[in-house]
Amino acid sequence: MTAHAQATPASMRTAGAANSAGGRIVTEAIESMGLVGLLTARAEMRRFVQDDGIRHGQPGPEVVPEPDCADESGGPRWRVQGRNWVIDPLPVVLAAADWRALEAGLIQRARLLDHVLRDIYGARRLIAAGLLPPEVVLAHPGFVPQAVAAEASLALPQTSVDLGRDSAGRWRIIADRSSTAIGAGYAMATRRITTRVMAPLHRQVAPARMRGFFHSTMNALLAAAPAGVSNPRAVLLSAGTSSATAYEHGFLSTLLGLPLVEAEDLVMKEGRLWIQAGSRREAVDVVYRRIESLHADPLETASRAGTGVPGLIEATQRGRLSVVNPIGAEVIDNPALHAYLPAIAREVLGEELLLDSVLTHWCGEPAARAHVLANLGSFIVKPVSHDTDSTTYCGWLLSEDRRAELRARIEAEPWAWVAQEPLPMAEEPMVTPTGVEARRFVLRTFAVSIDDRVEVLPGGLGRVAPDAGTWIVPVMGSGIAKDVWVLPDDSAPRTGGLVSLRESLEPAPGGSLALTPRVAENLFWVGRYAERADGTTRLLRVVDDLVEDHASRSGTPGHATALAMRDLLATLTRIPVEEDESPQEHLRRIVRESTLRGSVGYAVARLVGAAQEVRDVLSHDLWHVLSRLERTIAATAPVDEQLQPQLYDLLESTLAAAGVFAESMIRDETWGWIDAGIRLERAQHTASLLRTALALERSALVEAQVAEAALEAAESIITHRRRTVSGDGPISPVDSAVAILLLDPANPRSVAFQLGRLAEDLDLVGVDRTARVVREVAAMLGAVNPASLDEVSRDEVRDLVDRVAYDLRGISRDVRRDSFIRVGRPTLLAPEPSPGVVA
Amino acid sequence: MSQNESDFEPRRYAVRHRTSYAYGDPVIRCYERGFLSLRPTTTQQVVASELMVDPAPAIVTERIDWLGNPSHYVEVQEPHTSLTVTKEAVVDVAWPRVDLDALDRWTVAGAVAQVDAEADAWERSAFRLPSAVVGAHPEVSAYARRFVGDDEGLGTALHRLRTGIHRDFEFRSGATTVTTTLPQLLEIGAGVCQDFAHLALGALRSVGLPARYVSGYIETSPPAGQERLEGADASHAWVSVLTPGGAWVDLDPTNDHFCDSRYIVTAWGRDYRDVSPLKGLIYTEDDQPTTSTMRVAVDVRRGG
Repeated sequence: MTAHAQATPASMRTAGAANSAGGRIVTEAIESMGLVGLLTARAEMRRFVQDDGIRHGQPGPEVVPEPDCADESGGPRWRVQGRNWVIDPLPVVLAAADWRALEAGLIQRARLLDHVLRDIYGARRLIAAGLLPPEVVLAHPGFVPQAVAAEASLALPQTSVDLGRDSAGRWRIIADRSSTAIGAGYAMATRRITTRVMAPLHRQVAPARMRGFFHSTMNALLAAAPAGVSNPRAVLLSAGTSSATAYEHGFLSTLLGLPLVEAEDLVMKEGRLWIQAGSRREAVDVVYRRIESLHADPLETASRAGTGVPGLIEATQRGRLSVVNPIGAEVIDNPALHAYLPAIAREVLGEELLLDSVLTHWCGEPAARAHVLANLGSFIVKPVSHDTDSTTYCGWLLSEDRRAELRARIEAEPWAWVAQEPLPMAEEPMVTPTGVEARRFVLRTFAVSIDDRVEVLPGGLGRVAPDAGTWIVPVMGSGIAKDVWVLPDDSAPRTGGLVSLRESLEPAPGGSLALTPRVAENLFWVGRYAERADGTTRLLRVVDDLVEDHASRSGTPGHATALAMRDLLATLTRIPVEEDESPQEHLRRIVRESTLRGSVGYAVARLVGAAQEVRDVLSHDLWHVLSRLERTIAATAPVDEQLQPQLYDLLESTLAAAGVFAESMIRDETWGWIDAGIRLERAQHTASLLRTALALERSALVEAQVAEAALEAAESIITHRRRTVSGDGPISPVDSAVAILLLDPANPRSVAFQLGRLAEDLDLVGVDRTARVVREVAAMLGAVNPASLDEVSRDEVRDLVDRVAYDLRGISRDVRRDSFIRVGRPTLLAPEPSPGVVA
Repeated sequence: MSQNESDFEPRRYAVRHRTSYAYGDPVIRCYERGFLSLRPTTTQQVVASELMVDPAPAIVTERIDWLGNPSHYVEVQEPHTSLTVTKEAVVDVAWPRVDLDALDRWTVAGAVAQVDAEADAWERSAFRLPSAVVGAHPEVSAYARRFVGDDEGLGTALHRLRTGIHRDFEFRSGATTVTTTLPQLLEIGAGVCQDFAHLALGALRSVGLPARYVSGYIETSPPAGQERLEGADASHAWVSVLTPGGAWVDLDPTNDHFCDSRYIVTAWGRDYRDVSPLKGLIYTEDDQPTTSTMRVAVDVRRGG
């Protein structure tokens, strides 16, 4: 293990937990796997993380769809999500007795914080009794006074804390993180990957399982429903891909079996909350809140419209809705509370605190402030809320000037600051490319309460600092996650937790929930973009083949065909050949440039964006496929290498996606919308392919070759050749292409076939009116006799294809108009002023 | 505005407050939070009160907020291009005269110490900490010190602050906006009653005295020889400061006097944000924000 950087006082280093039972297991694992084995595991984890799309962190700017001229673009807004989650392969292993003691302390704290929160928003006895200074509540940005309710009390079903171990191995609380208890989902995701990569060790140790905790969480949510609701409906309310923890929201909703909703899916009506899907609506009784209180009810907190739902606080106060954790719970995370909890515990529980906090001084207390200001260099100073300042200051690292600056800020707003003694924290081993090194370790734990019982997630989310010199282990951002294993406890057989106690409270079956316009639209675009990536890649493959074979033989019909197909590709993708650009470079741009609307890269990026919005309803397998697509696009071959292997890889992935849709999904509305997107996209793509191919006025030979290339791009060349040989169907390749790609209802690549499927899909999702229109277009195509194509003029054929393309655009518009209209656009009005009167 | 002995006589008022919104595009739903009901206080008794919403609301509920103010929650769930919220109330008012000499028994510093020792901690903190609109600014402290010295008598200091703001600032609508900060207000030198109230709050809090923003109305007289115009009154705002013994003293820097029986209270809060008469959130079909215009008409009439 390497030495600590000079930033950490040497006296504060500790030897870690190598001597404990858990530490021995990890040490043995390090020895038996060796550095090569550990690094292999580390690399494997990275790949799994990427495959599962586990991301975290501030998302990029919103990508707004371009104006929709010909219905080739459009789709919902989306953002690029943070960065990949990073996991260290070595778990932290805790002995059963160690965990039992910690668990008891966490249960006590959950009960205590629940009491304090109820009191803050209720009777305020703690403040009246002088046990809690009012500024700790009133000056904290997390206090939402509108949530104060004399009659109802605000319970705190979820609690979460960050802990470190001091040099004596004792757990000490560093911070409360109960407000939205971020991280339980990441802990589970970390566990799943660690279990896969470290399978032999996991089997040998058999740590306590986490799954039961999520059952309990679900039961806690249902138990929180307003009194008198017999079969409560709960939803998980997220800010979608604009949230740094969007991955966790999707993952949790799957784990809990809760619909993932955003504000635009919800409507407050007559003081009740509803999920609105077209003309259908369903009442919501419990909101599992994954958005900040400040934005939860824009009518009351006047923050910003759009993230939250107006009337949410009113509905909770009237007892028609429960929010978990309640709006305003953020105040319980004020670190100033650490200084008062020991006395409060004695008063309200009659108990001593089982878990000490790191020694914390609240600067709002004059004596504490004086002590802190006199010894600023030896404290970690942080604001009571990261809403006001996101930095944590290590006093000993500050220059004289910065220290004076900090002192002035503390003196100006003393209640807004706490100072903590630096914890001489125990370290855990972490795998680095140069060896196993010691890193400061922080554990985040999670607990849920149902009635009077508290259940703690066995283990939690472990984090280590990325660098040896880092004193503050990053909250979530750049920290490295570690799985935390609790050794089985032989003395006390594990019970089923709280699951069995709440069997009667089964969640309402998720299938009955109507898809909201937001979900429907994203699913539709998942289908469209997946199909677009596939169609464009197939076309690229054909064009690349022609270019490779004929590019150097100018004057030949093959060369003319290659040029014609390149133009066709440029027209269809709307990515023209640039001046002096080689055909090879042009093709690579169409693969790679995700900023160009017609490229495969663009389709893949939008596909991932749409999928992220509806992660909870998509098959887990799809993420592996999407991850592979992204990787393949990123590794586009240079001009001097062949493009075909990469195109082959891309097709393998798009086929895999098609396989997931076809083979892994129940034929319900979710699938119906994806398939509708696929069918409409393929119909439009094929119609455009035919239109563009027919538009070319070339020699008969080139026309025939272009038609065959189009048939090949549409995966129908074999059918064409067989029919030509048997004399079945039109003689000219152009007419044959029209017969096979437009009219043949038995060809799964034809427009006629897509229309049949689209009509069924629209029936399934309940868009009857458009389904009728689709059937009319299909009937029109059905009335055309393929054998007659040889007899009609080329112009008549073109007119037919144009007509179909036009009708398809109309169908696309109808679908969007009828099904994707949201609950409306919210605007906050400026509050009415009081101008006053000079009497 | 002058103040006569008769202004302290008990009387009855009928108050009507009508807020109208007109929108450029149809609004499909709207949500409103109103602090329009009159608050029962030691200086007024609410005889009757009614809230009317047009178009017909889907729901109207009333509750008492965390500071004891009555407030309404309103939903309109049918498409509309205009919304009118009307409050009508009848109230009996009687204010006592403020005894400045009695207040002068304490110095400002002495008053702060005694309020600290005796007042309810929660209430004291709620009205002394900086709030959303009334931040702690050194400029405001410096301004306060021109009128309020630690060793000065409390009554004299309050009088000087009230008179000072009245003298230093011009009443001018449009001089300030909702985003104007107190230091900016000091630069501009003009504003409306809401601004003067916020400045007084900042000044009083800066010396350590808890002070609250009071939203309400004041009876006005039409200019001599003119008819009273319908809807010509406005909602008003002033401040109330906590003094030793637990009494709150209301002062109006806009009109430069302590409150008398012409003052009607709707609600009080840490600042304007807590108790603005009406705030709302609308939903429109289109992806574009709509335009909205607001008109307010207030009538305060004697009798009723």
